[in-house]
Amino acid sequence: MSEALTIDALQQWLHRFAFDITTQADWLTELDSAIGDADHGTNMVRGTAAVVAKLDGGTTGTVQELLKAVGITLVSTVGGASGSLYGTFFLEMARNSPSDVQLNGSELENALHAGVNGVIARGHATVGDKTMIDALEPAITALSQSLADGRQLQGSIAAAAAAATIGRDSTKPLVARKGRASYLGERSAGHIDPGAASAAILVAALAASIGERTA
Amino acid sequence: MIGIVLVSHSEALANAAMELALQMVHGAQPPFRIAAGAAGGFGTDATAIASAIDDLATTEGVLVITDLGSAILSSSLALEIRSSTYQALISDGPFVEATTAAVVGAAAGSSLADIAAEASNALSAKKAQTVTGSGASVVEDTDPENPAASAEERLINPMGLHTRPAALLVQTAGEFSADIELTNTTAGRGPVSASSVIGLLSLAASKNDQLRIDANGPDASRAVNAVKQLVLQGFGELS
Repeated sequence: MSEALTIDALQQWLHRFAFDITTQADWLTELDSAIGDADHGTNMVRGTAAVVAKLDGGTTGTVQELLKAVGITLVSTVGGASGSLYGTFFLEMARNSPSDVQLNGSELENALHAGVNGVIARGHATVGDKTMIDALEPAITALSQSLADGRQLQGSIAAAAAAATIGRDSTKPLVARKGRASYLGERSAGHIDPGAASAAILVAALAASIGERTA
Repeated sequence: MIGIVLVSHSEALANAAMELALQMVHGAQPPFRIAAGAAGGFGTDATAIASAIDDLATTEGVLVITDLGSAILSSSLALEIRSSTYQALISDGPFVEATTAAVVGAAAGSSLADIAAEASNALSAKKAQTVTGSGASVVEDTDPENPAASAEERLINPMGLHTRPAALLVQTAGEFSADIELTNTTAGRGPVSASSVIGLLSLAASKNDQLRIDANGPDASRAVNAVKQLVLQGFGELS
């Protein structure tokens, strides 16, 4: 595959993620106030702002180093389950990235897969539990399918983002089976899961940043 | 002595749990760290947990005890990102009970594996005390054949065999090489090992219950005698 994601492109993704989280923070918090402790928006803004500060502080080096720094920053600034899960996502991506300054399409697919699998392993959640996995798993499946069908990376990431959005919306009628929302039982139904919402933003930011670069 | 890391969403909660548990220790306290709160509020932080574990580097392994959901998640990530390599386990025991079991076990010099098992069983003791008559089933029966020494005594201290006397018993039992077992013959609970606070608590032994002491090993009779003395003295709780 000729397309590749450079360090710059990855940084652009993370900047975009931070920006989109900030503009949608109130909505995330509103979702979290329905079924959680009303801090998901605030926590994610704090975490992604710390990531941006870290990037602006001048982290160069390999893709691996970049993703690892992002993971550790999120763990120590987001707090709670979201911090550990987003942290795990990037740490697992890092662990499964080449020690290089760019990722080609299959390397990106591989790293994203590892990130999603890491989140699944850490949280013991599966699709239907009303968690971020409901957005991430369909996204990675759509990405792989699209790449296997021979589509370009940009189009495949866009397909992943669309799948993440559908997955996010699928959490609305679900009863939470993981996390603190699960204590609410039936009362958790009728609300989109805030974790799935921020995860969909993550994938959409990747699609948007790739779109911008090639546009 | 093993080290203990308490992981809690609330620092106040963790401090109080540790303070409560340390009431049971009369000699040297086990090394411990508290990793509580995240970003200045309620929460758990895997990097803080990782440094707490790393901090205890000189100990014979570390037991990590957690409160609610994300505490477990953050702890499992902490085990991956810590820089130390000695053994560390995440306990699945209930927070307060597991902390008590770990503190007492660590102070008595038990191994990490034994303490982890002890903390994990902590819920059983609670169940034994709240569900009438089900207590006998929570502790697995061991072979009571040919005890080298045994005795039977009546509990005379007003509160029965609660946590403090149980901790004292564990400490005493740790001084002997014989395996010591206790049975609440009045209620038909046990036998349980005298080296397990949680086991002893599962006897749910109240004042006037008959306790059978069985010991097996080279110093069995001295061991039985020492335990008997504790019971006779009401564990120092007679006014």
